[in-house]
Amino acid sequence: MTQTFELFSDLFALRNNALSRRDPRAKLLACVAATVAAGLSTRVHLPLAVMAVAMGGMLLVRVPVRLIVARLLPPLGIVALLGLLRTFLIGSTPLGQVALGSWTLTATQEGFHEGVLLLARVLGAVSALILLSLTTPAHRVFAALRWLRVPQVWVETAMLMYRYVFLLLDQTADIFAAQRARLGYAGAARSLRSMGTLGGAVLQRAFDQADRAHEAMMARGYRGEIPFGTLGPTPAGDMLLLGAVLALLAVGLALGEGWLA
Amino acid sequence: MHISEGILPVGWAGAWLLVALPFLAWGIRQIKRRGQTEPRYRAFVALVGAAVFIISCMPIPVPTAGTCSHPCGTGLAAILIGPGPTVVVASIALLLQALFMAHGGLTTLGGNIVSMGVVGALVGFGAFRLLRGAGASVAVAAFAAGALSDWATYATTSAELALALHGGGSLWSLLGAIMMAFVPTQLPLGIFEGILSVGACRFVSSRRPELVERLLARSSG
Amino acid sequence: MNAPGKPFLIEMENVSFAYDEGSLALKNVNFRVRAGEFVSMLASNGSGKTTLIKVLAKLLTPQQGTVRIAGRDVRAMTAGHLYQQIGLLLQDPNDQLFAPTVEDDVAFGPRNLGLPDVEVEQRAEESLAAVGVAALRKRAIHHLSFGERKRVCLAGVLAMRPKILVLDEPTAGLDPAGESQMLQLLSRLNREQGISLVLATHSVDLLPLFADRIYVLNRGEVVKDGAPEEIFADQEMMHRVGLRLPYISRLIHEMRCYDGVRIEGLPLTLREARLRLLELIPPQLIMESLKEKTP
Repeated sequence: MTQTFELFSDLFALRNNALSRRDPRAKLLACVAATVAAGLSTRVHLPLAVMAVAMGGMLLVRVPVRLIVARLLPPLGIVALLGLLRTFLIGSTPLGQVALGSWTLTATQEGFHEGVLLLARVLGAVSALILLSLTTPAHRVFAALRWLRVPQVWVETAMLMYRYVFLLLDQTADIFAAQRARLGYAGAARSLRSMGTLGGAVLQRAFDQADRAHEAMMARGYRGEIPFGTLGPTPAGDMLLLGAVLALLAVGLALGEGWLA
Repeated sequence: MHISEGILPVGWAGAWLLVALPFLAWGIRQIKRRGQTEPRYRAFVALVGAAVFIISCMPIPVPTAGTCSHPCGTGLAAILIGPGPTVVVASIALLLQALFMAHGGLTTLGGNIVSMGVVGALVGFGAFRLLRGAGASVAVAAFAAGALSDWATYATTSAELALALHGGGSLWSLLGAIMMAFVPTQLPLGIFEGILSVGACRFVSSRRPELVERLLARSSG
Repeated sequence: MNAPGKPFLIEMENVSFAYDEGSLALKNVNFRVRAGEFVSMLASNGSGKTTLIKVLAKLLTPQQGTVRIAGRDVRAMTAGHLYQQIGLLLQDPNDQLFAPTVEDDVAFGPRNLGLPDVEVEQRAEESLAAVGVAALRKRAIHHLSFGERKRVCLAGVLAMRPKILVLDEPTAGLDPAGESQMLQLLSRLNREQGISLVLATHSVDLLPLFADRIYVLNRGEVVKDGAPEEIFADQEMMHRVGLRLPYISRLIHEMRCYDGVRIEGLPLTLREARLRLLELIPPQLIMESLKEKTP
């Protein structure tokens, strides 16, 4: 549990550096564009280039390698599984055979190629996402989403959820520690019961907190909607940067796919 | 298990987003409407969302896989706030997880909203209501909601993966293989999630019975 | 700030309130605060002070009686108007901070008033500076310490520019330095900006230094109200409602009762007590050189 809690951190996003100062709209769009480009690419070069650039960015703002690896690893498990499945189930040109008891599995070239491409795409896309997440705090993303016309209710709920997840996390960790200190997690059956209690306790705290948050909002003139400040125009430099990223991705994609030939 | 950034081809990612949008709009409209007559409602939905988000981060030991896996929590959320708002809070939880843990992704948000939010919430809510309507106890209904919504979520995720990735091969053999790969972890996880839902519902109803009555009234609305 | 003769800003008349489950939380309460006054509400836990605060701020509607703020019945006031008169600081800062960053939270109130962005900015800056946390502006709420959160809460309330501040245990959970800083800050707001203060607490040691008047609340009823000297002189009442004297007063009180030391009146602050004790100590026991050095 503690590991999850540590991973769920925005400390890096809140640091002040060359990348965290960039306009959140530009970063959001650049990240989505990089993912789409990696997804459209049928060769591994562009996705790997995206990954290299993203890694470079993270090292530039001194994100510890350990954190990057910790965030990159989980998606790779499922990719490995999917890659293997595809290698054995798709395609026709045999690459090799594996005997599993009475079964014989045939690996195919097409499947293997597809698997490697998938791996490259995921590496590229996830790297871009990690770069975005480590340089953009949530409230900037919310402001960007509001500017991009995401409905007010959604952004308001997201803001409240974000704020109270941290508060409830602290309380949950306290209850969890108190349970463990009294052997609430000794044995599987007891663990399950303790988990259920923990879940219920968190919910109950949430209900109480909701009433109190509402009162606090009322006392400061809440009229049914949290008002948002407006995000000013994107700085010219950031526009230029976004333009450059988009152009590079387009050129890279066109070159890789042979559209220019 | 969320579909990670980069796994779905661009076309499929966009298609799932389009499928998710009407459900999101439905949930947003429900929150908005209810918020007008009941000013506390928005804070309530957000806090239940935050709590369920945390519950979904609790690691559950899965003996068959030798590792820890995480519950979805959408079945529980659907019991408490109804399926529409659950789709909304699930979409927010998915965005926060994508941003803070690189768990899931931005372009795969649509696919994940459909499997976890839409299918998970509808199945969980449906199971709870049907069983309660048929006279089952809260515990039985909550267990079914937790377990079935978990399994339905994984079945949908598998289907999304198989549909997108079967390429020239057989859809069914890939789907079957993905499901088989998930079963050893998912079967017990669903049961655990069911038990967790029962525990959470029991705790809330024993400490704050008036709240549960209020909740049941809410989810019928 | 002493304010005799000034008009009443808060007038609560014969207010009774019961919660849904039937427990009567306020019984026939009369409570008045003049413009510029620093009033303290002294009450033990569960005696209805939080309920009274919520009734004042229109978060709860009493079944009986009226509440008037600046001469107007709160029932007839719009939220926008009411909360520019009265600002509320809750006991737990986590209940009050619901935005992701300090800046967003402080801007919440002014934005609700529909002010233009420039003025929202300006108010946020001013109120953060007023409570001494201008440097925290861009920080995320969940990375702040408890004391910082408490100040940010106060900044968020001040950004509404209220004429009255109602504070529920504003020093609870603060360390001794934070406690005295908070009280100094409140006292300054009272003296310099003329903001009326209603401070609910059960900690008696620091209050006599600041409060003009004290209301003692017990089981939903106002037991007594008056100047701090009057209140603390009624020891029988204090004991009955589960409150104690400031430690320094108790020392003097016990010396008088048990040791027969003749001390006039009842000093409430460290300084008063020191001066009284000095009067009793024979001059030959006092070293002149040290005496001169004391403040």
